[in-house]
Amino acid sequence: MKVNKTTQAKGSAKSQKWKDVRAKRCRPPVRSSELDSAPAPVMARMIKEHQAAAKKKPTVKRLQIKAKPVTDPKKNTPQSRPKKPYSQANGSAALRMDNESEDSQEWKAYSQSIHGNGVETSADAEDVRPGRLEGEALHYCTERDDQQNHAVLVMHKDQTLCFRGKCSLTCLYGRVEVMGFTIEEGQQSYPLFSPASHCPLTIRAVETPANTRDHKSAASHILRKYLSSASQKKLLKRVTSNSSVILLEPMETPLTRFLSSFAELSELFSPPMSELVSAVLDTPLNGLGVIPLVRAIDGLKMSKSYSDALNTVVSACRGDMDGCAVILVCGTKNVGKSTFIRTLVNTLLNHTTCVDYLECDLGQTEFTPAGCLSLSVVREPLLGPPFTHQCTPEHMIYYGQSSCESDLDRYLESLKSLWRRRSPSRETPVVINTMGWVKGFGFQLLVDMIRLFPVSHVVQLGHGGVTQCPALTPEFLRTAHGCQTHPPAQTALDELTESHTPPRSYAHLIVQSEFQGVARQGTAKHQRSNEQRELSLLAYLSQLQSPDPGPVRPLHTLTPYQVPHSAVALGVSHCEVMPSHMFYAANAALVGLCCLGEKITSRGGPVLLTQGPICPCVGFGVLRGIDMARGLYFLLTPVDPSILRKVNCLLLGAVSLPSCILSTQPGFEGEMPYVTSDYSFDHTGAGKLRVFKGLTRPSQIAMQ
Amino acid sequence: MKKRVSEKKRHVVAWVNKAEWDQVLEYLYSKDSSLQRHALHRISAWKCRYTSSCPVAVDCTADLVRCQALDRSGQLEGDDLVLLYGAALVRFVNLITERQQGKTARPLRRLAGNLNIPEWVVDLRHDFTHRKLPTLKWCRKGCNVVLEWLQHEYWSRQLGGGPSEDWESQSNGEDDETDLRRQEDELIARQKEMEAYKNARKLLISFEKEQYQAFDGLPEDREKSLWPAPFADMSWLLGEIKQLALESSDLLIEVLLEDGFLVPTVEQLQTLGCDTSASPTEPRLPQTFLRFWLPLLKMLNSPAIVHLLLEKLFVELKLLAKEQKDHRAFYLSAWISEFVFCNSNKFEYHFETKGQKKDRMKDRIFVNRIQLRWQQLLSACLDAPCISTPHLLQLILDDMEHPLPLETRQRLLQLCSIYTQTAHSNFDPSQEQKQQPIYTLESLHEKLQRSRHHSQPWRSRADSERSESSQENKSADAWAERAKLLRGSPWQVCADKVLWKNYPLGKVPGQSDDPSCLMLENYSTMTVFDQPVELETNTARSAPGMSAPVRTADGLLWNHSDVNKLKSGLQLF
Repeated sequence: MKVNKTTQAKGSAKSQKWKDVRAKRCRPPVRSSELDSAPAPVMARMIKEHQAAAKKKPTVKRLQIKAKPVTDPKKNTPQSRPKKPYSQANGSAALRMDNESEDSQEWKAYSQSIHGNGVETSADAEDVRPGRLEGEALHYCTERDDQQNHAVLVMHKDQTLCFRGKCSLTCLYGRVEVMGFTIEEGQQSYPLFSPASHCPLTIRAVETPANTRDHKSAASHILRKYLSSASQKKLLKRVTSNSSVILLEPMETPLTRFLSSFAELSELFSPPMSELVSAVLDTPLNGLGVIPLVRAIDGLKMSKSYSDALNTVVSACRGDMDGCAVILVCGTKNVGKSTFIRTLVNTLLNHTTCVDYLECDLGQTEFTPAGCLSLSVVREPLLGPPFTHQCTPEHMIYYGQSSCESDLDRYLESLKSLWRRRSPSRETPVVINTMGWVKGFGFQLLVDMIRLFPVSHVVQLGHGGVTQCPALTPEFLRTAHGCQTHPPAQTALDELTESHTPPRSYAHLIVQSEFQGVARQGTAKHQRSNEQRELSLLAYLSQLQSPDPGPVRPLHTLTPYQVPHSAVALGVSHCEVMPSHMFYAANAALVGLCCLGEKITSRGGPVLLTQGPICPCVGFGVLRGIDMARGLYFLLTPVDPSILRKVNCLLLGAVSLPSCILSTQPGFEGEMPYVTSDYSFDHTGAGKLRVFKGLTRPSQIAMQ
Repeated sequence: MKKRVSEKKRHVVAWVNKAEWDQVLEYLYSKDSSLQRHALHRISAWKCRYTSSCPVAVDCTADLVRCQALDRSGQLEGDDLVLLYGAALVRFVNLITERQQGKTARPLRRLAGNLNIPEWVVDLRHDFTHRKLPTLKWCRKGCNVVLEWLQHEYWSRQLGGGPSEDWESQSNGEDDETDLRRQEDELIARQKEMEAYKNARKLLISFEKEQYQAFDGLPEDREKSLWPAPFADMSWLLGEIKQLALESSDLLIEVLLEDGFLVPTVEQLQTLGCDTSASPTEPRLPQTFLRFWLPLLKMLNSPAIVHLLLEKLFVELKLLAKEQKDHRAFYLSAWISEFVFCNSNKFEYHFETKGQKKDRMKDRIFVNRIQLRWQQLLSACLDAPCISTPHLLQLILDDMEHPLPLETRQRLLQLCSIYTQTAHSNFDPSQEQKQQPIYTLESLHEKLQRSRHHSQPWRSRADSERSESSQENKSADAWAERAKLLRGSPWQVCADKVLWKNYPLGKVPGQSDDPSCLMLENYSTMTVFDQPVELETNTARSAPGMSAPVRTADGLLWNHSDVNKLKSGLQLF
C-alpha cells in the first residue's frame, strides 16, 4: 500500500510537470492597437525583440496543445489524399463561416469547390496537395520582401520543404515540424542548418489543432507585419484553415562566418555534387541561403519501425513511469543512430523542458569535439548536424581518442565516472548514444553498458532486416558476457530465488533503417567522419570569434591567456612521449583543459604527468606558444575565465587541430611552424598507414 | 588554352621546421646510439602530433633504429634482439608495400620488387613469420640494408621539392599493367578528342565559307531586305553541326569561341563591311556580323546550349582579365549581351508596326524566353570583370526571374563600376543617392553601433560620437573583466604588448629557429590517479529488479581495472 501511495504522489507530481506547460518562450503579445497606431517603430521593436529572443538563453518551450505523434506522412496519407478538399481561396466564404466548426468549414469549402465551378477562384490558386514544395509551387506560395530581406511561406498540411543551406525559421501561423520538433506560432525563431555533410532538413507543415479564429483575418494581420500589400494579397489567397505560415530569414553567426573563412569549406552549405541536378534554383528563397530540393531527394526517411519506436519511447516518457526513462540507442556504423537520437530528443522537447544526453560515442560526438565522453542537458532542439550545436556539457571527460579500442577499461571507467556525477534524484529522461562498434569487444561493451546504466529502453537499429549483432533483449542479457560484467552464476539457489526477485527488465525495440546508403559512409565532400570531426572542432573554436558582426579574426591574431609552466600539469593520454621532448608534442597543439583534485607542485620546471588520468574536462584550448625563457604557456580558449581559473591540467590527445587552422594563417608568406609545401607524397612510405579491410585472396577469387 | 597555376599545397607536418627534420635525419643515421635515442625520442613527439597519420617510412625507420640502438647498448641478449629485429623487419616489408596492394592480395615478393627492395629481405620476413628464426647476423644485415633503402628512397628525397599531393588522394600505386592500360586509354581518348576538334573546326570553316559566298553575292545596299536562302550544302552543313552539338556541345562551343569564329578577325570584319568603332562599355554586335552567324545559332538554340555558351563566354572573358585583349573581350561581351537581350521580355517597342516587329524578331537568335540559371550567371559575370561588366550586369539584373532588391542592385552596379573604373556611364546614381554622405569606416562603425542599441530609438548626436570610442574601449573592457575573473589563480590574460598577428601559431616573441629550443632539461613528473567523484549523497540507487551480482563491480573497493591503474601508476620514467 505504502509503495503504491508514494508512486501515485510522484506520478501526479510528474504528470503535473508534464502537463502544466505554457509558452514562456513566447514573445510578448503585440496589441493590435499598438500596431495600428505606430506601425514602424513597433515593428522595429518586434524584430529587435525577436532577434534578441533568438540569442537569449531561452527558458521554456511548450506547445499549447499536445503535439501529434510522430508519423511518416507518406505512410498514412494515401487513403485520405483523394478526399482532401480543394483549398478554396475564397475570402467571403470563409468570413461567413466564422463561427462554424473546422470540420464543417472544410466540408463547405469542399462542396463549394464542386458547385461553385471556380468562378471566383483566381488563376494561380493551384490545388493543394500534400507533398514536396518545389519548382512552380514554391513561386505560388512564397513571397519575398526585398526591403527586409526575408521570405514568407504558406504551407498546407503535410506539405514539405526540403532544402540545403541555412536560415532562421519563425512560425507565424499554424505549426510546422522539423526533425521531430514542432514549432508553432508565437515561439522564438530557430536556426536551421542543412549542410552538405548530412541528410537535408525537411520542414513539414502539420495540422493545427482546431481553433475558433478566423484564419483569413488572423493571417492577414500577421502578414501585414512582414510583407508589402501586393505580396500580402497574393499570399492571403493561399491561406486556408489548415495552413501554416513561416518566416525564413538569412542567418549569419560567428560559426558560419568562421567556417566560411576557410576556402575548403566555402561550399559547405551548398548541395553536394550528387544533388546538384535536384536543386531548385531561382526561387524566391535562394537569395536567403535556402536551396530547395526536388522530391527526388529524400529528406529524413522514417520506416514504420522507426516511427513506432519513437512513439513508444516518447509515450513512455510522457506516461507515469516509475523512475526516469533511460533510453540506450545502439546499432552498427552509419545506420542512423545520431539522426534517430536527434529526432527523439526533439520530439521529447515538444513535451518537456530538457532531456539528458550521455555521449558514449567517441568518434561522432554530438555536442563536443571528438574524443570526449560527456553528459549534457539538452534544452534546445537539434536542428542541424553536431557541428552546428556545439555546447558545453554538464560533465565531460576527455578520453583523448576517437575510438576506445586501445583501452576498454579506461573507457568503461570514464563512463561510470560520468554517470556517478549525475544526480540520482534527477527525473529527466536520459538518452544514451553508443558507438557503431558492435562486433567482438564492441558488443561486449554494449552488454556492459546495459548492465551499468539503469536502462529502461534499448533501441537497436539495424538494416536489411537484421540487426548486425545479436538482439540485446533482457533474455539475452541474462547469459551474455561483457568486458567487465558477467551474468550471475546460475545456481540452484538462484533458480529458487528468481521467482521472488525478477531480473531487471527493459523494453527492447528493433528499428530497421531504410534510407538510401544505409551502413555506408558518405563519400562526398564533408561526409567522411574525419571531416565531420574537423567541423566539430572548428565549430568549437569559432566560439573564440566575437559575437558582433565583423571580419573573421584568425586564431593567431587573438590575445592569449598565459599560465606558468609550474602551475599546470601537462599530460598525454594516447601515447608515450619522452618527457624531455614533451614540448615538441604540445606546441601549437589542441589540449583538453582538465581539473585535477591534486595540487600541482613543481620541483622546478614544468610538471609532466606520467599517464593520462580520468578527470573532468571543462573544454579545449590551443597551446598557441611556449615561452621557454619566462616559463609560460600561451593558450587560446573560449572557456569562460571563471572556469578557466580552476584548470590545472593540460591533456594532449589524439584529437589534433584541423589542418586548415595551421595552414590558413593569413599574413605569412614564408615559413610557418609545422607547415611545409615541400613535403612530397610521391615517395614510397610518405603517406600514413592505410588499413585495408576486406583484402581478397587470389584463392578466394578462384573459388567464386 | 588551359592554364593552371600549380601552387604547391601546404601540408601540416610534425616537425616545426626543416632544421628539425634535418637534425632528426642526421641523428637517426649517426653511429652514436645516444644521438639515435635523441632522434627516437623526438619521433615519439612527432607520433603524438601525427596521431594516426605518421608517415609509414618514419615509423619503420624509428623501429629499425631502435633495434640498432638496443643492439649497440649491449644490454640485450641475442635472442631478445632477434625478436625485436623480426618485428621491425616484418612490419617494414608489410607496411611499405601496403600502398602497392590492390583489391586482391598479391605476392609481397612482386610488390617489393617494384620498389627495388632486395628479394632476400622479403625472404627474411617470411623466415620470421613462417619458418625457423633467422640468425642475429642476418637480422643486422637486413636492418642495415633496409635502413639504407629508407634513407635513399624516403629521407633524402623528402623536403627537396617536387610535386605534392594530398595525404588522402595519394595514388594507390596500382599495378604496372593497369597503369599501362590506363595510359593507353588516355592516349586513345586524347586522339579521339583531337579528331573531333579538327572535325568541328572544319565544319565551322565550311559554314563560314558558305556564308561569305552568300554575302558576296549580294549587293551591299540591299542586304537588309534579302536574306539568302540556305543552299542545299548549307542545310547539310547545319545538320552536321547539329549532330556535333548533340554529341559534344562542349567541344563545339570551345571551337566557336576561338578567334576567327564568334570572335571575328579584323579581316573578316572588313570583308563583311562592318565598322569596328564602337563604345567598349556597351558592346553591341555589328548587325551584319550577327546575321552572318544567325543560321547556325538559331539551329543550335536550346536552353542547354545557350546556357553552356553563356557560361563559356564568361569563362573566356575571365581568362582575358590578365591579358588585355580588347578586341576579343569586346566581342565576347557583345555576344553575352546579345544572348541576354534576346531573352529579355521587356517590350520597349510599343509603337512599332507589325512589319517592324517581324524584322526585329528575325534578328533574334531565339524568341521564347529561356529559364536561365540566373544565380550562376550573376556570379560568372562578377567573376569576369572587364570594362563592359557594368553593362552586362545591368542586363542580367534587369532580366532575372526573381530580381534582387532594388537597393542591392544599385549597390552592386555601383561597386562594379568602381571596380572597373567606368563610373558615370549610363547608370548615374540618382539625385537622392548623390546627396547621401560618403561612408567611411568610422561612420559605418557608428551606424553599426546605433543599430545595435536599437532600444533607445534616436540617440543624440553626442551619443553617437561617443559610441566610437566606446567601441574601442569595449574589447579592452572585456579583457579587464576577464582579468578580474582570473585574479587569484595562476592564469592571466597576456598583457605583453605583442602584436600577435605577427606570430604564427607555435611561435612566440623571441623564439629562435634552433630545433632544440623546446628541449626540457629540468622538469618534475607527477602521477595522478583517476579522479574520484564527489558525490552529493552517496546512496546506492536501487533500480527495481537490479540483480545483485551485476553490481559487483561497484561492490569491491578496488576492482580489476583500478588495480591495473594503480600498477601502471607506479611505473616511473
